[in-house]
Amino acid sequence: MKRKFQLTALALLATTCVWAQSSTESEADSTIMTIDAGDFTISESQLGEDDDMTSDVIQVGSSNNLYTSNIGWTWSAARFKFRALDNKYNDVYINGVQANQVENGRFQYSNIGGMNDAARNKDAANPFESNAFAMPGLGGATNYDFRASSMSTGSKITLSGLNRNYTLRGMFSHGTGLNKNGWAFYGSLAYRWGNMETAAVDGTFYNSLSYLLSVQKKWENGHSLNLATWGNPTERAQQGASTDEAYWLANDRQYNPYWGYQNGKKRASRIVNDYAPTALLTWDYQIKDNMKLTTSAMVRYQLYSSTKLDYSGTNPAPDYWKNFPSYNYDAWGETDGSNNNWDAYNSAKEYWQSGPQARQINFDELYFANQQLNKTGNDAIYWIQARHNDHLTASLGSNFNWTIDKTSKFNAGIQLSSTQGMHYQTLEDMLGGENFHNIDRHLVGTYQETDPRADYDLKNPGRTVKEGDRYAYDYDIMVQKFNAYAAYTKTIGISYNYIAARMGGTRMYRDGKMQNGLFAENSYGKSGVAGFLDGGVKLSSTMNLGNGHSLTLGGGFEAKTPNARDAFICPEKMNDFVHNLKNEKIASAELSYGVNNSWLRLNLTGFYSYKYDGTEWSCFYDDNESSFVYVSSQNIAKRNYGVELGAKFKVTSNFDITLLGTYSEAEIVGNTDVDYMLSDNGKLKRTTCFADGMRESGTPLAAASLALNYRVNGWYLGLTGNYYDRIYLSYTPVTRLQSVQELWAANNYGGAFIDVDGTPVYSIPEQAQGNGGFVLDASIGKQFYLGKNPLSVNLNLSNITNNTSLCTGGYEQSRANYSVNDGEMSSRTYNFLKNPKKYYAQGFNFMLNINYRF
Amino acid sequence: MKKLNIYTALLIAALGLGSCMNEDWQAPDFGDNPPYGNNEIIPSTSNKITIADLKAKYANVFSSNGYKLIEEDLQLHAVVNGNDQGGNLYKQISIQDETGGIIVGINGTDLYAFMPVGQKIVINLKGLYIGAYGKMAQLGSEYNGGMGRMDLNVWKERVRLVGDEVKVITQTTENNVVKYDTTTVEMTAKADTIAFSAPKDYNSMIGRIVKLSNVEISGEGTQTLAPEDGSVRLTSNCANRDIKGAGSSIVLRTSTYSDFASRPIPTGKVDIYGVCTIYNGTWQILMRTNSDLVEHESK
Repeated sequence: MKRKFQLTALALLATTCVWAQSSTESEADSTIMTIDAGDFTISESQLGEDDDMTSDVIQVGSSNNLYTSNIGWTWSAARFKFRALDNKYNDVYINGVQANQVENGRFQYSNIGGMNDAARNKDAANPFESNAFAMPGLGGATNYDFRASSMSTGSKITLSGLNRNYTLRGMFSHGTGLNKNGWAFYGSLAYRWGNMETAAVDGTFYNSLSYLLSVQKKWENGHSLNLATWGNPTERAQQGASTDEAYWLANDRQYNPYWGYQNGKKRASRIVNDYAPTALLTWDYQIKDNMKLTTSAMVRYQLYSSTKLDYSGTNPAPDYWKNFPSYNYDAWGETDGSNNNWDAYNSAKEYWQSGPQARQINFDELYFANQQLNKTGNDAIYWIQARHNDHLTASLGSNFNWTIDKTSKFNAGIQLSSTQGMHYQTLEDMLGGENFHNIDRHLVGTYQETDPRADYDLKNPGRTVKEGDRYAYDYDIMVQKFNAYAAYTKTIGISYNYIAARMGGTRMYRDGKMQNGLFAENSYGKSGVAGFLDGGVKLSSTMNLGNGHSLTLGGGFEAKTPNARDAFICPEKMNDFVHNLKNEKIASAELSYGVNNSWLRLNLTGFYSYKYDGTEWSCFYDDNESSFVYVSSQNIAKRNYGVELGAKFKVTSNFDITLLGTYSEAEIVGNTDVDYMLSDNGKLKRTTCFADGMRESGTPLAAASLALNYRVNGWYLGLTGNYYDRIYLSYTPVTRLQSVQELWAANNYGGAFIDVDGTPVYSIPEQAQGNGGFVLDASIGKQFYLGKNPLSVNLNLSNITNNTSLCTGGYEQSRANYSVNDGEMSSRTYNFLKNPKKYYAQGFNFMLNINYRF
Repeated sequence: MKKLNIYTALLIAALGLGSCMNEDWQAPDFGDNPPYGNNEIIPSTSNKITIADLKAKYANVFSSNGYKLIEEDLQLHAVVNGNDQGGNLYKQISIQDETGGIIVGINGTDLYAFMPVGQKIVINLKGLYIGAYGKMAQLGSEYNGGMGRMDLNVWKERVRLVGDEVKVITQTTENNVVKYDTTTVEMTAKADTIAFSAPKDYNSMIGRIVKLSNVEISGEGTQTLAPEDGSVRLTSNCANRDIKGAGSSIVLRTSTYSDFASRPIPTGKVDIYGVCTIYNGTWQILMRTNSDLVEHESK
């Protein structure tokens, strides 16, 4: 049967395409139903879509290792991070061209959200595993294959209903496979939807479309061209972390402070708009039977913005610390209690508990304030800002694969990329205000309102800002990268040996579009150019011990260029690079034992890595300085080590048991050097941060699961018990700076003091932790046939015991338990150290998935 | 053909659903029901009291630096004449009517955004405290055995923001027939400025906006109004600058947190506007915004 159709309406998606299809229905597409993890268990929220969050999960997934191929989805509810590594250590390629966002080094999984079929076509390599496309990073490497001929043939419709960050999902895909004339087409379309009434977390919504189109022509002479284009316009509202006190008052660990009421209707304050249309042209050239060249060119325009309620006076957040009952009464007994006010505590508590309107944003009041200010011609004091992080990237990747003989292979490749990162802030909504000036309100007082130093842009002094206009900052970060690698594998006797090396170069600079008043000399125009060379080597050897037993030893050393995101001391305001910026050095090794026989598959791995000379950047409000501070932590050394186990026992032909487990450590070794700049006056200070022993946050460092899977007569039954522990929250440098500890000691505060010799004795707070716990998941599935066509139905039940106290991450607050005036500390009743902000895993949730192939 | 229809339907469904979810939010028009304060307060002429009468009623409380709970059902009709806009008044506003002014201590910030100068207000006084701090009258709450600020929620419960007139609907029952009458209550208080003098009965002057004409502010020309560099003694984070040529002794009191703290002290003659206060016998003037200090053009 031949069918043709044309679609032109996709022009709406900014990518015009006309595609013709001509396919032969495969006669026997009776794919045996397998429970495919990617199909129904990964909720995209768990893949770290947020550009500005550090909880990004790595999708390692080499199918050669039972542990790595299963953890990605089994432990997604706890936001488990492979070896507690940042996503930036995992290299992601699509058709052989690197696709990590260059400024933060992370791959944005949201860019391929909804393209579940295509995202399953991948070649993943563990950190020391040979592969045909790269020298894998510390967290491994993945190469997605978006070629039309690689996609499954036929049509597929998937409909899903769930109660997570979205409610409904519909996906449709169609692939033709390669036809007689050498053409292949593939298209997929998906839509994910959840509104304020249906989304699991109050005040959030999810609205996402995704499309992927791929066309391939293969010639007899060994050449093939593939053009793929995809994108996923997504609009979604975010959930905010809050304190345990807020969760207690709201009686809900999914309490979300980021929304409020306007005129009785729910309104979200933090909305992310994300769309990264991408076009990818791939040329495959089969030079000889044993030689292949793959070259891909990719252009991606990532449009990302996130909104936030901003203010120039009092923080209107409902969970602002001064609104809490414990602002009025010291429940921990750490102060002298002289400021305790029991009545105020109770009245705040009653207020919080009086209903949702009391603990959400009061948009009406914000509008009213701005309208009142209009009367006197004053600037609005509340508004919604949108921070834009747009990236235009052009990249090229070329890969040469040569099978030299039966025992040896050679692979080599190069990657080139150029990225323009466009960062600016716009005034999204003035909330009824009529006036707004491009002036840094935080500086008014330190300087007069008319002082040029308080002006964000001396090129347009005193400029008025309207909705949609850029204000506060506007700059580009330009990054050019080059990388080349070569790898060689050789089988010698019982050993399979792998050696790979890479080298690369990076240039980066900032181009300021505003002349910041505080940094008139070094904020406008181009900064200097920082150049880096980096590279590394990896070796591994696998011994085949016979009878399905093997032993693998891997080791490597690498120098890795810092990300542009960490390279500037205060990119929003000025051009200066971080002092003493240098490559991070990474030494890593692992030893792995594997068994693969008729009843058991097992991988037992021990890993160790040591990184040093690392640089990280953050910014927050610091009470010790009464100013925003931009903090660059340098000379960070980190040690990650642990054991990983994956074992699958085939008890009978239709019953198996899978065991997964890890116990690991991921900590900072030694203290770090900190440069911090005060936004009030631009002064830079250097001090030490006593960060020794701080753990990586937002992931369980210990996790275990036991899964039972049973298949009979087209039915599938699965039961998984998971246990998570050793969950740390992101530490704040602010309580651990030497300068702050000296202040503590001088004031005899927090356990710090000056001893009899006059030397200060410091008291470094313990890092805040979150609760681990047990989570039980079950799934049941059945495959039917409608005629010849398979229809499968899966029901996935997660967190059946409704454990709502499993912490998935969070952070210590960067505020202090005291205020400082001329070096004198005065205690606050509120205790920031005892009130870290946390996220909790969702309680019981489900997903129903119906899948039809035809 | 059947297949084509499925594709088309799917595509249309996807595109139709894929429209923007965040609404285009319009600014609400609150009319006579601002989302701040208590709109159920009914302005009444029967229990209205003037600020002068209120001060007279509690005169002995002020002189003893004490405080007292207001138990009578009294109502003030006033206008805001000073607030925290410039960051110089902190957690307080000043209000006045035709007879005088008074400070209101409120545990809140950005009060100016809700109560700009000129905003007319009705305050139900019952349940509030009246007393003195440094012998200066103010409204607020009891705090640690002295006069303190009231909680923001207490304030919002007792104040109504009003326009120049308020329509009041009254219900009367005559011979079992319910009648509704609409009366209009005029709000007559205006934020005006008077020339400063130092009367013996200081209560008549404080809380008012006063003007000092043709005066000089003492201090070196290189100094700013309220520096934190230790060049001037600070009390509660405020600098007092002597004013010459005002007829009576009065200081210009400026907070280091104010927006104009870093303004250089003018060398010549100036006019100063501000809220008149007194602290244990010392007259003080507090600028509200930077424009309250007007420099005469140099010769």
